[in-house]
Amino acid sequence: MRNPLAALRADDRAQLRKRLRTPVLTFLALLALLAVNVTLGATLPFAQVWIVELGVVAVMVALILLVSMEVIHEPPLIRLFSGLGFFWVAILFGMTLTDYLAR
Amino acid sequence: MSQPLADGVGVARAEHFESIAQQRAAATLGIWAWLITELLLFSALFLVALITRIQHPEATVAAAKHLKFWIGATNTVVLICSSLTMSMAIEFSRMGWQRAMVRAMLATAALGGLFLVLKGYEYYADWDEHMMPFLSSRPFALAETPAARLFVNLYYVATLLHALHLFTGIALLLGMTWMAAKAGFLARHQNWIEIYGLYWHFIDLVWILAFPILYVVNR
Repeated sequence: MRNPLAALRADDRAQLRKRLRTPVLTFLALLALLAVNVTLGATLPFAQVWIVELGVVAVMVALILLVSMEVIHEPPLIRLFSGLGFFWVAILFGMTLTDYLAR
Repeated sequence: MSQPLADGVGVARAEHFESIAQQRAAATLGIWAWLITELLLFSALFLVALITRIQHPEATVAAAKHLKFWIGATNTVVLICSSLTMSMAIEFSRMGWQRAMVRAMLATAALGGLFLVLKGYEYYADWDEHMMPFLSSRPFALAETPAARLFVNLYYVATLLHALHLFTGIALLLGMTWMAAKAGFLARHQNWIEIYGLYWHFIDLVWILAFPILYVVNR
């Protein structure tokens, strides 16, 4: 099968490399973080491992939001909107767990 | 938008917008407003899962042990791959590489389809193990721990809702791919690919949360 990259000019290939660098690095970072969580979930090395697992998930979510969804490059109003969503989620979790954990 | 657009790629201004920049920002803000409502919907389900764990730890762990951990992990890999192909489609759209963009969009839809096939197999295995407490014709495997029913029912609501979003996403993606393959699409509607990409990444984000909350932390 013919390699489609072989038909590209050198400047096209350079542009492709430049444009896809961030998505590919994000992809590799997400896979690595997932591998950490799957390993922890499969081996359960200590009792409080869920804290580490949720920490890893938080990093994965931040990566998707900021890099894949490009929030980091958006204007302030859109950054505010995306942040507000998680602020409301924090209120939802905070108020509910205050009740359940204090019973 | 992080990368500049190639020549001949852009958005046709609708008359009610002052500028193309305003039009692009309005579209992005609109999809984010909707994604926030979706985030709150799924967050409520994840919160209930957490409360179930706090209130009934033994029953939740017993139910979670029946979940297909490795299928869930494989499906997470599949969705992370689909996020990469969607990001590639967005970059190709900005570069004006229409054919590559269409192929990346088709690859994204195919990976979404693979996720649903694996999820379907997982549901079949659950059915086979009598892990569907809502079916009166098949006695629930954990009938001796009634609280397990709460977690398992929640698992089905959350994962079916996610699968519904994914199915809708695949249908929209295939429809948009059909339109995006036509000549002149990238000169008029390039931002459609970016807006749709936000939705696809969001579906990925929800599963990135669902997998650990349902499958991993309850083991």
